[in-house]
Amino acid sequence: MLETRAFEPEYLRKLDRLVLGIKRARSVRQGERRIGRVQGLGIELENFKEYTEGDDLRFLDWNAMARLDQPLIRTFRAERQIEITALVDASASMGMPTSDDKLGLGLAVGASLAYIGMADNDAVRLGAFSVRRGQMCLETTPFHRRRESYLNFKDFAGAVQAGGETRLGAAVDQLLLERRPRGVVVVVSDFLVSAAEAEDALKRLVAANHEVKVVHVMGEIESTGAYPPGLYRIRDAESGEMREAVFGPEAAAVCRRKVEQLVERIRAICAAIGVVYAQAFGASTLDNFMERELPLLGIVR
Amino acid sequence: MGFLDPRNLLWGVSLAVLVAIYLRSRARPTIDVSSLMLFDEVPAPSASMRQVRFDLLFWLEAAALCALTLAIAGFFVRIPERPAHGRSHALVFALGAGMTATESGSSRLDRAKRQALDIIADAHPDDQFSIITYALEANLAQAPTSDAKELRAAIGKLNAIAVATRPAALRAALMRARGAAEIDLFADRPPPGEALGDIATAGKFVFHQVAADEANLAIVSLDPGVPRASKMRVGIRNFGAHPQLCDLKIYLDEKDAAAQTLMLAPREQVTAPYDPLPAGGIVHAHIASPDAIAADNDRYVLATAAVPLHALVVSPDPAVRDDLARVLLAVNPNFRIEAVDPASYHAASNDSDHFALAIVHDSDAAVHADSTLLVFPPAGASKLIPGLTIDGTASGAELHGATQSGGNGLPIGATRILAMPEWMEVTSSATLPGKGRTPVAAIGQGENGSVGVIAFDVRDRMLLDPDHLDALVGTVDLIKRLVTPANVQIVATGTYVNLPASGPAKITSPDGSVQTVTPDKSGRIVLRPLMAGRYKVDNGKSSVQVFANYYDAIESDTAVTQVTSAKSPQRELASIPAPPREPQIQPMLIVLALMAMLALLAESAMLARRAGRWGMRHV
Repeated sequence: MLETRAFEPEYLRKLDRLVLGIKRARSVRQGERRIGRVQGLGIELENFKEYTEGDDLRFLDWNAMARLDQPLIRTFRAERQIEITALVDASASMGMPTSDDKLGLGLAVGASLAYIGMADNDAVRLGAFSVRRGQMCLETTPFHRRRESYLNFKDFAGAVQAGGETRLGAAVDQLLLERRPRGVVVVVSDFLVSAAEAEDALKRLVAANHEVKVVHVMGEIESTGAYPPGLYRIRDAESGEMREAVFGPEAAAVCRRKVEQLVERIRAICAAIGVVYAQAFGASTLDNFMERELPLLGIVR
Repeated sequence: MGFLDPRNLLWGVSLAVLVAIYLRSRARPTIDVSSLMLFDEVPAPSASMRQVRFDLLFWLEAAALCALTLAIAGFFVRIPERPAHGRSHALVFALGAGMTATESGSSRLDRAKRQALDIIADAHPDDQFSIITYALEANLAQAPTSDAKELRAAIGKLNAIAVATRPAALRAALMRARGAAEIDLFADRPPPGEALGDIATAGKFVFHQVAADEANLAIVSLDPGVPRASKMRVGIRNFGAHPQLCDLKIYLDEKDAAAQTLMLAPREQVTAPYDPLPAGGIVHAHIASPDAIAADNDRYVLATAAVPLHALVVSPDPAVRDDLARVLLAVNPNFRIEAVDPASYHAASNDSDHFALAIVHDSDAAVHADSTLLVFPPAGASKLIPGLTIDGTASGAELHGATQSGGNGLPIGATRILAMPEWMEVTSSATLPGKGRTPVAAIGQGENGSVGVIAFDVRDRMLLDPDHLDALVGTVDLIKRLVTPANVQIVATGTYVNLPASGPAKITSPDGSVQTVTPDKSGRIVLRPLMAGRYKVDNGKSSVQVFANYYDAIESDTAVTQVTSAKSPQRELASIPAPPREPQIQPMLIVLALMAMLALLAESAMLARRAGRWGMRHV
């Protein structure tokens, strides 16, 4: 499985120099509802202010008061931790075609992003969602902040199995029900759902003040339509619906056109709601995707 | 087209297996995809496509299986024979007396030669011809060559001989020609079907009949009778389809003895009687009327002298003595015969009398005569003939005589097992149980005169028994030859004549040609007269005349043989001078095997390509 690749030391060394690009708030005083640094306890001096009643006298700058005969209070910037959730689609569609190992690619991408997120000691967790037996099943790992604990994600990634339907909206609903602080949510999915459902789910994440990033994952065969030529009965991995199709060059072209349409649709939705969109098509492109494509797309810098 | 072994078509059942596999594969495989939304615009198969989906792999395998099945079944096609260069031809010529039949100054052999030369002229320069002749034996007159000049010279040298063609010689000739691509037979009569074998059906045999209804008269027999006692008789036969005048002349020692003109009805045979000859000598009958075959217009016979001849018969069995005396008188009534028991002969006779012929039966009595015939000689008699070895006695044997047909011989009684000396001519043989063929009659010219040997016993009235006619005929012939003067031999053409010679001998043939031969280590020369007439052998000291007679009822019959049975292959041969070539059977084994191999290679290439593109799972 490809997800094991995300835990190989050689691969992780390539990720060491990457940083997760997060639009952090400079201050909470400006009234901006940004994620990021807030004034508070810290070690890095930020500014001075006139003493007012109630200020902590421990931060009174005695030297300045001696020179200026004016009590000044030192203010500090406090580093605020951000919760990063890598949410991987674990529906049955992520398991097809088997040779594409699309789920493995999604888990590898999610784990890789988690590793990168740990560079700033942010709280990172890995989650997988799908609908099993009619119930939304959202499984997540505990938050981990330090890279020493990165390997705790390995057991989780190895245990995830593709199955069930893709209910992106239900997964977002369940995630928001946790009422976690606003953070970063990276949605890794093939987005083989209706455009309305995808748009609704992403909008609700944004509305909950999460910074949302989308990684669109597809398999190599799936994205190129390079199925063996011949007459087949094809079955939808999630719905079980079947139909007959003739695979060949013509069908491959149709598949490629459909994938392009899907990509454009998801890309348009993301652009409309200010969500960063990236795509990882093909398991063989994992290294290239993490090193080259993500920085170019602005997810990692 | 057809099949060499149609039963092997059962291998075609394997096609059913292939079809079953194909139908099973037509049950469309189901594959899971992530979502049908990616395939909603992919075209669904049409109805016709579902029924007759073209699967190239299936058709390649079916083609390979079909080709292999047809190859195993021996599929062949008949294709017209293509003219090819460098083909081998065999020109087979009959050289029997019938081929000498002449009409309008041209013989049958001449016509055959012209046809052969036309064939050679029309052939491709690279074609090779061999020339094979047959009469008494088959001979290769010209080895295969494409040199037209050499072939013309070889054909020009061909000459017919005064003998009857033997079927065995024809078979041998065709056997030699079997390797040729085309066989052209030139003969005056169609060959028997059994002689052709499978050659006639192989489509490479062409019979050229060179015959016309020429008139021919032949002297069938010449009986000189007994001079001054019994009439001379001459048998004459007209082989023509029209009445013929026969101008017959009789010579005695080359002097006119009689002359007569006879009118013979179509295909009539007559026997003309003449007054008894005035004296003994060489009687020569000659047909002076011109006809087709000259060889059968002369016949020679020796009339025994009118003087009494003294003969001695020695046998311990009185009945045998009586039988032999009767036979001697039948051969020549002028014989004065003395028949004695061996015991009394030794006691009383000594050698006071001179005998022209002595016949010694089952005795080793030493007799003195011009000619001696030993009958059933005991072991002690071997001293009478130098080189003769007597190895015992067989209780029975089967005599191979002229009247016996097939492989069975005439059962005879006790027979001595003899080893004849080289200088003796074996005239008859018999088969001994478990020992094969052995000579039972021979004649030769010894130091003390002519000597003959008969190995079988003639007791129990064998010579007078009608069921043992061959034994009597052989004995009479031997006696006749023994009493013939040493300087005269009358033989049939084609037979070997052994003559004693002390040095090189000059042989003068009937046509006047002369050749000199050297005697072998036994001091003998062997003459084989192939022309009818008188041969003169002169070795300086003595002279021997050999008269060769020819007559064969079939060979001398110049009427064109018309095959009456439409089903017989002979009719086809005779009526169609150059039948169209049968289509050649061309086995398709190699072609079919190549087709199968190509189909399998194409399939392998497709599978390899598919494996490279989609992986081994889809092969």
